[in-house]
Amino acid sequence: MKIIQHVLFTFALALTGANFALAGDTLDRVKEAGVLKVATDADWAPQSFLNDDNEMDGFDVDVAKEIAERMGIEVEFVTPDWTVITSGNWAGRWDISVGSMTPTAERAQVLEFPGIYYYTPASFAVHNDSSAQTKTDLNGKKIGACTACTYEFYLQHDLNIDAEGVPPFSYDVTPGEIVSMQDPAILFDNLRLGDGVRLDGMIDSLPAIRAAIENGAPIRVLGTPAFYEPLAVAIDKGDEEFHHALKDIIQLMHRDGTLTRISEKWYGIDYSQSSN
Amino acid sequence: MYADTVAQDRLVTKPGFLLACFFLSSAGFFFAGLGDSFFGHLLAPVSGDPETSGRFGDFAVAVTLAMLFTANVVALSFVPWLIQVVLVWLELLALFLLFFYSFDLSIEFIERKIWFMISRGLFTTLYVSAISIAIASAIAIVGAIAKLSSNGFAFAIASFYTSFFRGLPLLMQVYLIYLGLPQLGYVVDAVPAGILALSLCYGAYMTEIFRAGIESIHKGQWEAARALGFRFPTTMRKIILPQALPLIIPPTGNQFIAMLKDSSLVSVIGVWELMFLARTLGQKEFRHLEMLITAALIYWVLTIILEVIQARIERHYRQKK
Repeated sequence: MKIIQHVLFTFALALTGANFALAGDTLDRVKEAGVLKVATDADWAPQSFLNDDNEMDGFDVDVAKEIAERMGIEVEFVTPDWTVITSGNWAGRWDISVGSMTPTAERAQVLEFPGIYYYTPASFAVHNDSSAQTKTDLNGKKIGACTACTYEFYLQHDLNIDAEGVPPFSYDVTPGEIVSMQDPAILFDNLRLGDGVRLDGMIDSLPAIRAAIENGAPIRVLGTPAFYEPLAVAIDKGDEEFHHALKDIIQLMHRDGTLTRISEKWYGIDYSQSSN
Repeated sequence: MYADTVAQDRLVTKPGFLLACFFLSSAGFFFAGLGDSFFGHLLAPVSGDPETSGRFGDFAVAVTLAMLFTANVVALSFVPWLIQVVLVWLELLALFLLFFYSFDLSIEFIERKIWFMISRGLFTTLYVSAISIAIASAIAIVGAIAKLSSNGFAFAIASFYTSFFRGLPLLMQVYLIYLGLPQLGYVVDAVPAGILALSLCYGAYMTEIFRAGIESIHKGQWEAARALGFRFPTTMRKIILPQALPLIIPPTGNQFIAMLKDSSLVSVIGVWELMFLARTLGQKEFRHLEMLITAALIYWVLTIILEVIQARIERHYRQKK
C-alpha cells in the first residue's frame, strides 16, 4: 500500500512541481533556509492586514519581524485559513504562527506555545441603535463570533485557557444563536447593517472592535470585557530547541520593553503585561 | 432560432402588448416602493416631498418609470437588430453601474488598490488557471483513450477517476489535497495544491469532452488507417486527433473560462489570487464592497475577452469544415 501511495503521489506531485520538503527539525530547517516562515491572517486589522503598500503589516507582523531579526534571519508570511493553523500538523509548511493565538487546553494537544507575547481583553460589541446596556442583555440573542476561535468557545461556554496568570472569568452571556463565521471581518460588516438585522451583537478582541469604530463602523463596545486572554506564538510539536530559543527571545522582548513599544505603536496601550 | 418567413404583425403594433407592458412594469415598480428613492426626488415637484408622499409617491414614480420603459421598448423596435442589441446592452450596463454607484463607493480607494489586484491577484488567477488547463488537457487525453479502450483495467481506472472527481465539490477537493497529502508525508504548498485540485477536477470533466470528440470520428477512419498499416499511436496522431480537435477545442475554451472563476476557490488555502485579495485588501479600512465589486468587474471583463476569443476559435474551425 505504502509503495502504491508513493508511486501515485510522486507522479501527481511531479506534474505540479511541488516541493518535497518533509517535516523535520524546525530550527535546523529555519537556520538552513535563513527564512522564518510565519503563518498569520491577512484579514484582521490591526493585528495583521495588508497595508497601503500591499504588504503585511500590524502588531503580529511587527512581533514576527522582531523575532526573526533576533534570530538573525529573514521573515516570510503565509496566510492559510485560521482553522488550518489551529488544527496543527503543519508538516513544515510554515515554522511558526504569530497570530494572536490563545493557548487553550485543546490546542495544546496539537501545538506548543513557547511564549505569551501580549494579553488582550475580549469584548462584546453591538450596533449603536441597540438597547443593550450590559452583557447580560445579550442573553438569548444572535451573537457572532469567528469560527474555532476563543470567542466562539466562550459563547459555547467551553473556553479552557491553558496558561499561567490568566484572570478568572465567568460566562455572562448565553446566546440564543451563535453565528459562526470564518472571517471576522464579515462579522463587522453584518453588525453594521443595523441592530438585529443579521446580528444582535458580536464578540471579538477589543483592539479589533476599536479599530472598526475608528474606521466609521456604527457600533459600540458593550460593558466590561468578557475575559482577558493571553496570546502566544505557536509552533508545531516536537522541537525542543526551537521551543527554548523562542521562549528566550520572547522573554527578552518583554524585559527590554520591545513588546511594550510595539503594543503602544498599534494599540496606544501597553497590552504586553497581564495586569490590565 | 429558425427565421420564420411568414410575415406577421410586429408585437409593438398590438395595443394589448403595449398595455400589458405598461401595466406589468408599473405594478413591478410600484411594489419596489421607489417613492423615497433617487427617482422620487427627481419627481418631487409633481408628486410632493418624497419623505411624506407615501403610497402616492410610489405610484407616481412607478407610472413614470413604466411610461419611460414602454416608450423605450417601442423606440427600440424601430431600429435595426444590431443597434437594438448594442442599445439594450448599454442600457443594462448603465443601470448596473447606477446600481453600484448608489452604494456610495470610494473610487479613490479602488484606484489605490486596483493595480495590486491586477498585478498580483489577476496574474495569479491567470497563471494558476493556465497551468491547470494544460495539465487537465494532458490528463483528459490519457483518460479519454483509457475510457475508450477495450482493456477493462484501464477503463476501470479512468471511469473511477472521472466518477470520483466529478462527484465531489471542487472546494472539498482543494481541502482534501491541501490537508490530506501532508498526512502521507508530502507537503504541498498552497499554489501547487490548488493547481493539482483544479487539474484533477477539470481533467475529469475534460476526459468526457475528449472522449466524445474521439468517438465522433467515424469507424471508417479507423479501418482505413488499419488498412494502411498504421499502428495505434500513429492513427491517433495523424488521423483521429486532427479531426477530433475541432470538436474538442471549443468546449475546452469554455472549461477554461469556467476554471478562471472556479480558481477563486483556492483562496481558502491562502493563495493570493483575485478572490483572496478582494476579501482582504479592503479589511483595514472596512471597504469590502469596493474590493468585491472591483474584483467582480475584473472577472467579468476578463470573461468577456475570453468569450470573444472563444467565438473566434469556434468560427475558425467552422470555416475549416
